Amino acid sequence: MTTDWKEEVSKCSKCGKCQTVCPVFLETGDESSVSRGKISLAEALRDKQIVYTEKLRDHVYSCKKCMRCRTVCPSDVDYEVIISALLRGVADEMGVPLLPKIIFRYILPRRILFDLMLRIGSKIQRFIPGRKRGQMRHLPLLFMGKRWMPTLAEKTALSKFRTTQKLKNPKMRVGLFTGCLINYIYVDIAEAVVDVLNRMNIEVVIPQGQLCCGTPSSSMGDHKSSKQLAEVNREVLESHNLDAIVSACATCTKSIKLDYLRTLGPSWQKMSDKIYDISEFIEKYCGDDYKTKPLGKKVTYHDPCHLMWVRGITDEPRDILKKSSDFVDMDMAGSCCGGGGIFTIIHYDLTLKMLERKVKSIERSGADTVATNCPGCIMQIADGFAGKDSSVKTTHSIQILQKALANGDVSKEK
Amino acid sequence: MKLFQKTKREVNKHQKALNELIRVVGEERVLSAIEDRICYSYDATKQKVIPDIVIRPGDTNDVSNTLKIANKYEVPIYARGAGSGLTGGAVPLMGGIVFDLKNMNRIIEIRPDDFVATVEPGVVTKDLQDEVAKFNLFYPPDPSSAAFSTLGGNVAECAGGITGLKYGVTRDYILTLEIVLPDGSVINTGGKPGYDLTRLFIGSEGTLGVFTKITVKLIPRPEKIQTLAAYFSDKDDAIDAADLIIDNNILPRTLEFLDLMTINAVRGYTGTDIGKDVKALLLIDIDGTDESIGHEMPIIENTCEESNAFKTKVAETAKERDAIWATRRSISPALYNIAPHKINEDICVPRSKIKEMLKRVDRIKEGHTIYIANFGHIGDGNIHVNIMYGDDPSQKELAEIIVNKVMREVVELGGSISGEHGIGNMKSQFMELEIPPHEYEIMKKFKSYFDPKGIMNPGKMFIR
Repeated sequence: MTTDWKEEVSKCSKCGKCQTVCPVFLETGDESSVSRGKISLAEALRDKQIVYTEKLRDHVYSCKKCMRCRTVCPSDVDYEVIISALLRGVADEMGVPLLPKIIFRYILPRRILFDLMLRIGSKIQRFIPGRKRGQMRHLPLLFMGKRWMPTLAEKTALSKFRTTQKLKNPKMRVGLFTGCLINYIYVDIAEAVVDVLNRMNIEVVIPQGQLCCGTPSSSMGDHKSSKQLAEVNREVLESHNLDAIVSACATCTKSIKLDYLRTLGPSWQKMSDKIYDISEFIEKYCGDDYKTKPLGKKVTYHDPCHLMWVRGITDEPRDILKKSSDFVDMDMAGSCCGGGGIFTIIHYDLTLKMLERKVKSIERSGADTVATNCPGCIMQIADGFAGKDSSVKTTHSIQILQKALANGDVSKEK
Repeated sequence: MKLFQKTKREVNKHQKALNELIRVVGEERVLSAIEDRICYSYDATKQKVIPDIVIRPGDTNDVSNTLKIANKYEVPIYARGAGSGLTGGAVPLMGGIVFDLKNMNRIIEIRPDDFVATVEPGVVTKDLQDEVAKFNLFYPPDPSSAAFSTLGGNVAECAGGITGLKYGVTRDYILTLEIVLPDGSVINTGGKPGYDLTRLFIGSEGTLGVFTKITVKLIPRPEKIQTLAAYFSDKDDAIDAADLIIDNNILPRTLEFLDLMTINAVRGYTGTDIGKDVKALLLIDIDGTDESIGHEMPIIENTCEESNAFKTKVAETAKERDAIWATRRSISPALYNIAPHKINEDICVPRSKIKEMLKRVDRIKEGHTIYIANFGHIGDGNIHVNIMYGDDPSQKELAEIIVNKVMREVVELGGSISGEHGIGNMKSQFMELEIPPHEYEIMKKFKSYFDPKGIMNPGKMFIR
């Protein structure tokens, strides 16, 4: 870490502005939910007024790590450094007993989920690097608790695209970092990325051997595991000599582009500069030269936290959707869907409240499809509509583009 | 900060009070773990005192029950909204109970035909503004914390804001209050003959009672807002221009002044681009109809030019308007580029004395290695004097000496030590500069009438 959290906490002026954006505070009104509260707890830890306890751990885990607070902070506090230190502290001082706890509490009592977990387990074994905590990387799949959950793909994205579809004279050669959810569940998103980029004369390599980005383990303060994962990914991604790396997952992009700068150090900068969200890449390199025939569908867009608030990317996905569909913006497009990580297990009730807000926004927009750029959000929002028997479809914006491009091609042939 | 050492008898009393509180208001409304109490130990002054307990009432009944018990055992109690105050109003200086009213956050009713709305104290100011806007109505008080501060806190501190010149401050929009007094009794003030108790409680900073319902006055929402930035090479010219605009019988919605030190701080800060020759800046919003704006804006532009503004710029689009106000919003963080610590005093002087006041501030600063940035609501004479100082302890001492001198000058010029932030414990030492002994005693008598045991926000407003 380049910044010392102990100094960083002193920068907080306690103004309270983080209350305006914190999705958790919006639901609870608890000062312990919002960054200012957590920063004051970090301060108390630093000054040895308190020690790590279960209560403190609950407060630390009540953060969605969406980093909205960082973008509005007038004092420019690097909250990510502080929350990471707190998470690491919880892990160091109290161990990481959480994985078994989650399994005991949420999986074992439910036969279906337990079966499912085993099925997942059997699937992922071969990807586990020969390291002790490697299985951490697949936690997102276990986080679904009492949730509706998408079925696992028969064949993972990585195995499906073991060989690269070669292009004759490609404009560029890019690598796709799939991330766990796209690899195991939303393989069709990977297919869409490959199809869309190939149509734009860009060759897509899916570097074999890539692992989880490391977000789940760092979310639990297990930075050691995250570092191991990052090191493997570095080797894999650097070995292909690619022009760029794209990802269709907002969280993975944040992780490999930004978090790795901390985990792996400044030597990652050169690689980091080449990493893009898929919509960002398309609009930057191909924005002017692709032809679509917009679908008749009314599509709206949900801003994933890690794309909008961490990366400031809001226009690109909308530009793509405007060219591909009858696009309509929803109100509160940037409000958190509630999905993602350990938060959904520990604060399930809050997750549902956030989801309910999101579902209502989408319904108010009158759209029949909601697109977004994060498989985590897709899983969450789809869950919200599945529970309601609604006809609203949840999809990735790249899949809308894929259809609109195909649409355009067909009409040309006619 | 060790401010207060409890005696053994007091510790016992507090313990008894806590037990009774848990029994009466219910465990789910009580936070007693240290990890929770720490989160209610501060406000935006960065002072920190950990309370013994946090109570989170859900309704008037809870408030009344809590106050009865606090009063019975003489336990200090501190009402708290968003904890965004700038004078220490919500800091539990002497331990005891922090009363977190954030959960009482219902907008009870909006009566568009009567132009009134009734809210609970934990409602965020901007949430009310947004809700009434749906009826084309307007709740004007607009402190810069409006997006997170609460109505209860706004009333308690009598918050102002950048629209004060034209629309006044919180005080001007409060019609009636439901208040729980320290003995647990509930009173309803306002809208009746007799003494105006509502006004007595506005700005009482939690030292007299706790608001549980607030009824505010609303006004029609202005159709349109237009923004102008005027650039000056001399700060006196900018102040003259502000004066002349108002002399023309135009009351801008906002009339903000930035001096050179402030401009230097924001210059180059993300999203702001101000030329090198700019020494003072006026940021002006006017609101009304197309016709009224079409009439007033040229007059304002002319006035600025006649007062030697070398450039004026009217924002044509929402984006341009936003860019202009981004400059204003960036001041607070940008000031820390000058020095790591800040004392921000919201002094207020008659408009005609602003030039003189700034001259005196310059004189006080002369020869000292400390920076002072002045900016603020020039239209109502409310200038924020920001003393920026370094890490060295001698710098802090110097900053405090300067504040003291500034306050004396303010009072000498017929101004007030606090325009809109309240007194709290940060400014209580200056109260007697402005308030003659007899009046001070009258205030203290009011205080002891309502709160004979002195449990309500002790340590605030008065030093003795």
